[in-house]
Amino acid sequence: MKKFILINHKKFDFILLGMLVVLIAVGFVAIFTASTTAISDQVITANHWWKQIIFAGIAFLAIALLLKLPMPIFDILVLPAFVLNLLALILVLFVPTVGGAHRWFSVANVHFQPSESAKLLTILMVARYITKENLSEYKQILYGLGIMIVPVILIMIEPDFGTTLVFWASLMAMFIAAEVPLFFILLMISPVVSVMASLHWLGIVIWIAVLVFLLMRAGLSWVAITVASIINAFIALITPVFWMGLKDYQQNRILTFLDPTRDPLGAGYQIIQAKIAIGSGSITGKGWLLGTQKNMNFLPEHHTDFIFSVIGEEFGFVGSMLIILLFFAFFARLIHCVFQLKVRERKVATAGIMAYLMFQTFINIGMNIGLVPATGIPLPFISYGGSNLLINTISVAVILKYLNERGFIK
Amino acid sequence: MNKTSRVFLITSAVLFGILIIALFRLQVIKGKHYQRVAESNFVRIRRLTATRGEIYDQKYRPIVQNIPSHNLFLLSGKIQDLPALARFLSLNFEITEQEVTDMVLGQRFRTYEEILVVDNVPFEKMLSVSEHLNYYPELVFRIGSTRDYLYPNHYTGYVGRINEEEYERYRAEDYSINSYIGKTGLERYYEVLIRGQDGREIVQVDAQGRSLGLFQKGGYIEPLNGLSLVLTIDNELQDFANRIFPAGIKGTVVVSDVRSGGILAYISKPDYDPNLFMQRITPEIWEELNSEDKPLMDRVIHATYPPGSVFKPVTAGLGLQKGVITQHTRLKSCIGGMQVGTRFFRCWDHSGHGTSNVVEALMRSCDVFFYDLSMKLRLDDFHAYTLASHLGTKTGIDLPNEREGFFPDTAWYRKTFGRNVGIMGHKVNLSIGQGEVLTTPLQMNAYFAAIANGGTWIQPHLLKQTVGRARLTRQQVERVQKKQLPFSQADLRIIQEGLFAVCNSPYGTARSVQVPKAQTFGKTGSAENFMGKRTHAWFCGYIVTDKPEIAVTVFMENAGGGAAMAAPVARQIFDFYMGNIEDIKRPAVLPPQFRSAEDLDPDALQPSGQDDEPEPGLKQENREEIHPH
Repeated sequence: MKKFILINHKKFDFILLGMLVVLIAVGFVAIFTASTTAISDQVITANHWWKQIIFAGIAFLAIALLLKLPMPIFDILVLPAFVLNLLALILVLFVPTVGGAHRWFSVANVHFQPSESAKLLTILMVARYITKENLSEYKQILYGLGIMIVPVILIMIEPDFGTTLVFWASLMAMFIAAEVPLFFILLMISPVVSVMASLHWLGIVIWIAVLVFLLMRAGLSWVAITVASIINAFIALITPVFWMGLKDYQQNRILTFLDPTRDPLGAGYQIIQAKIAIGSGSITGKGWLLGTQKNMNFLPEHHTDFIFSVIGEEFGFVGSMLIILLFFAFFARLIHCVFQLKVRERKVATAGIMAYLMFQTFINIGMNIGLVPATGIPLPFISYGGSNLLINTISVAVILKYLNERGFIK
Repeated sequence: MNKTSRVFLITSAVLFGILIIALFRLQVIKGKHYQRVAESNFVRIRRLTATRGEIYDQKYRPIVQNIPSHNLFLLSGKIQDLPALARFLSLNFEITEQEVTDMVLGQRFRTYEEILVVDNVPFEKMLSVSEHLNYYPELVFRIGSTRDYLYPNHYTGYVGRINEEEYERYRAEDYSINSYIGKTGLERYYEVLIRGQDGREIVQVDAQGRSLGLFQKGGYIEPLNGLSLVLTIDNELQDFANRIFPAGIKGTVVVSDVRSGGILAYISKPDYDPNLFMQRITPEIWEELNSEDKPLMDRVIHATYPPGSVFKPVTAGLGLQKGVITQHTRLKSCIGGMQVGTRFFRCWDHSGHGTSNVVEALMRSCDVFFYDLSMKLRLDDFHAYTLASHLGTKTGIDLPNEREGFFPDTAWYRKTFGRNVGIMGHKVNLSIGQGEVLTTPLQMNAYFAAIANGGTWIQPHLLKQTVGRARLTRQQVERVQKKQLPFSQADLRIIQEGLFAVCNSPYGTARSVQVPKAQTFGKTGSAENFMGKRTHAWFCGYIVTDKPEIAVTVFMENAGGGAAMAAPVARQIFDFYMGNIEDIKRPAVLPPQFRSAEDLDPDALQPSGQDDEPEPGLKQENREEIHPH
């Protein structure tokens, strides 16, 4: 009887929940092997894996509580929780640094990153305010940016550049789900592309041509297209000037961020070691618990940010593919969920959550195989870490709740 | 499927498509290449240990040198058979199987880091062990450097492997588990200067020595060698004082330059050889080092003693400052002692001295004069004045763990003996440097040097300057404190007159202490104590030519009278100094190897502790300009 109150059997998305459980279970296996070291015949496993099981237990408890929470109360709680989270983001700046950044509150060996919960709460806030009735596109964008910019700036100060990227990714997805015309999105990301295109004069020319073409297809007025292309051309041309104005060490820092192999004794070392581990896994991998690279402990964080390297090493291309396809199926299911929902706010929120999880997955795996810079973003559901697992699971729980409570129209 | 969901699906398909393609390339196409790289653990960051600075005396003669050593390292990630390895090591070195196992398992989450198993392996041993190393690929000998302490002493201290507690504490300062760290003495106090900064090198060559080309740039951070210390110590004077110090007696000799505060000789007996700590210490040696004589204890600053009569100038100075006495005031006649309340306080000379003024009282060391004087002084003034004279408080010498000494005040007596304690008797005792007052020999030396120096107290110190990568004077490293002691010039002259009389008057207690071409000043002391039947022998004094020269403090634990035991040692040191004054004072020429920090021999910059040459190409590229486009 009690279970009936918790979930609505007709609407509850068992497939999504099932995928979530599988992902977390894969995490246990990966964490177990990542924290196992073999020296001669001595095999030692650090206790991370059962800690993660406890975290998972707490996370599922949180899902149950969230599902039980009446929807109106949930709706009321979002705003105060967001404000409290902003306060926490301010307070954390006054906490002594750990590893050069003010990111964690640490009480009795429990570490909490307010930027983690800020992701979910900001998405819920943005979703609520950009889906108000009768908003023009300009106001939607303005509200979205306005709400997003506060936590983003606070997290930039910490500093945690990687996490702020996640915010932008989910904001874009929310605009798309809120049916903001695509050319607005294009205009918003165009300056970033302009900066990248400025590497070569040909790049600038091609990019501006593509931009004009796309905007024309969107049916914009000639005035708007001209203004947009002039601004972008200007940005592309000013970038080298700006670049030259930077101090050597600032330039180096940016270049190293983009190409970690420039820094063999720092970030580059970790990424190369991850690549060696994954690459040496070859097609079928070295086998469960038999990874040699992880065993040499070349990677200090291989149960957290670099867990994918352990999977790649021990299970090879086959194993990596399975994980990637599992994630892809999971996100396809989430996209499917977005369009099950009819309440615009919930639909947009679901799109935001989907985008934030997908972006993190892409960035983390990309970092492990040397495609993208090392940013310290963990792999959702699989990397070791309590607060991260909890927030990711709750984010999915929010979607489960939305699905569970959707109307009878469908 | 509407337009929006298509955007989402296409975006995610593209992102995951990119990952799949990249993984295919990495694992399927280049899988063999990475397998080869992984199999031999080629790529690794190696620490290039900085060479520790050496220590020289004021004439650039060595006191502590680096000598090459052979160290055995272990890479626990490569271990094939731990029990066999443990057995092999325990058979060849003084290390138990259990220790090896603990060492390896203690490091289990840093298996890529090399563990220094045995340091300073003797050459023959290295040769015999090397024959078996092909069975143990996890073991490797590397050449490093170790310390050679040229003579036993207490101020250099010694270095040792970093222990767990130190590692946790100083981790942020880039120590590795194999690092050496200064444990005591100057090695510890100036650790930051001497140590230098370790370099880093990325190793990316395969077994055939070919570069894997994973990194194009960087990958080499040069180690910065530590600074060498030049001390104020004069090795010859140190050696002389060491030789003439009577065998079998515990005690100290401190010789300092009056005008600079620099210490020329620093002896604490019995002493120990710091080189003992460079090897594994056997239980027998350990027992010896911890015997009753405490050879490890630096008696100059780590022990406090009742000063006895060498403290009398303090009492006299306060009496003069407070106006209780003048130069001519004669106090109670000495009849071999003095009645205070119900107690009779004895003078050391039971036959009595009659009446004295302050100069005569110092000269003959008459206790009664100071007893009587102390009754006219307030204890808390006495306390404040002693501390202002920088006694019973740390001098701040550049050595770790200096002790404070002690001088009580009224509050302390009340706390210790109850509210109704009689202060008078204690005060009388304190006036002759007995009772609760405790000082270190170094404090006394600095005090007498200040008397010689017109009342200016200068913080005693050992470091004169650094040489090597940077040339810093002691003032640049850390300011030498200077302070005016609470003497008026007139009072100071009276005290000096008293100290002169001690050595030069026919009635002085240290008549023997005279040297040609210089005036001697001093004070003897024979301090009663609880440590033994015999008194501690003290002599504190200084010599003046046309200007004040050196202050000497000789202290001997339970050796008897100061005049008989300590004063002759001081006289020999004064003699030696005056006999060699030109040599000692002649400014030393900076040896060529220190001429310019930039022109250092490039060989000296070669990383020690490593057997492979860094790739020359890497170093070059490191310096290339960085072009963004």
